Amino acid sequence: MIDMDYISTFSMFALLLIPIGIFRWLGLGLARDTLIAAARMTVQLLLVGVYLKYIFRLNNGFVNLAWVLVMMAAANASILGKSGLKQKIFYWRTLIGIALSTLLVSSWFILAAIRPDPFYDARYMVPLIGMILGNCQRSNVMSLERFYSGIRRNEQEFMTYLMLGATLNEAVRPYLRTSLKATVNPAISTMATMGIVSLPGMMTGQILGGAMPMPAIKYQIGIMICIFTAMVIAAVANILLSLPAAFDGFQRLRPDIFND
Amino acid sequence: MIRFTDISLSIQGQNLLEQTGLLVSPGDKVVIRGPSGCGKSSLLKTVIGALPFSGRLSVNGVELQAKTAAEIRSRIAFIDQEPALGAERVREALFLPFTYKAHQHRRPNEELVHQTLKQLRLDPRILSSESKRISGGEKQRIAIARALLLGKTIFIADEITSALDPESKQAVMDELFRPEVTILSVSHDPDWILACSRTVEFQNRKLTEVPHDD
Repeated sequence: MIDMDYISTFSMFALLLIPIGIFRWLGLGLARDTLIAAARMTVQLLLVGVYLKYIFRLNNGFVNLAWVLVMMAAANASILGKSGLKQKIFYWRTLIGIALSTLLVSSWFILAAIRPDPFYDARYMVPLIGMILGNCQRSNVMSLERFYSGIRRNEQEFMTYLMLGATLNEAVRPYLRTSLKATVNPAISTMATMGIVSLPGMMTGQILGGAMPMPAIKYQIGIMICIFTAMVIAAVANILLSLPAAFDGFQRLRPDIFND
Repeated sequence: MIRFTDISLSIQGQNLLEQTGLLVSPGDKVVIRGPSGCGKSSLLKTVIGALPFSGRLSVNGVELQAKTAAEIRSRIAFIDQEPALGAERVREALFLPFTYKAHQHRRPNEELVHQTLKQLRLDPRILSSESKRISGGEKQRIAIARALLLGKTIFIADEITSALDPESKQAVMDELFRPEVTILSVSHDPDWILACSRTVEFQNRKLTEVPHDD
């Protein structure tokens, strides 16, 4: 792979002048946010570059696992923050959901399909779990937000279900269905058009890194199935695990679970 | 029987009721009156455990608590001005409670459903309609039909005749003003008020029985 020097890398920022110009022209007020986000992305990625260098060199199972746990904790905090739910009420519950889904599918992928030696090889474990986690993060923001805002907006309808004899699990099912549909539909359409409309990042990365297309494609198929499965498990697990904390004994949605 | 004992109710920091009581005996038809915003609808919602309150509230001798809320809700029908049907199609909405574990064993047959709809002056063809396309009055009657099919005999009714034409209103009242049915209601409809047996008013944050205008 041709390595870019730092000057070339930073020259890429010149491209950002175009969207920033458009934002200014439309009076969108997004220029500042864009610059902050780009700066954060750069610093974070450079730091990750340094971390990964050491983690790959060390390649210790416990260090790798600790790094994965840090990624999960950060993803979980971001999910709750963006879905407008209080961290102190849900943090441990959704962390369990995220950990359960991510570890289950990534274990299958790494231990049963790829089978690296050692099995905790950081070159496989860290980036693959990172990809699964990143996608779960996006989808879980949507599923949790849709689920709880759906019940909040339709309080009367929700109470009607309870009045008609529904248990809490039965009463929340319509909102679970809606939120899961909203979460999963974009992923289904991405899968369906992959290779035609989009060339996925991991596969492109591997090819740029010198891999032959076919092994890269096999990895891409594996990761797409892992992402989709983890996304669905995490969405459902997070909702189900959060239920006991979100409702009071009378099965009323607690108003204090929301940040606003 | 619904018994409110030393009930206090406040919404968004505003005290609506303070240490007041009311007993609705089996078969009573009670209408609650009071100025707009005084808390009449909120009082009705406390019976189904939808709003927090202090004091004691019991239905048929069972005190409303977290562990009894489901049992109490199963005995009560709560119908308001624009009931939520909870399903896309009317048929689905009508049979919805019978998809829950609690009522799966008592799914009514088609004949009983049609008969109940007709008693409420609803054409059974409404079953194939979309819930959002039917009128407010039809929604109210579907919600009542659903409660009747569930065999409920305690009705908490919030302005349920507001969207009904005179014939439909009479049909609803014929169904609900039976001796075995207990009603706790809020209404501004003179016919409904007249048909009730007791009137209770919100006066200075207390529930006060007033002479019923027969």
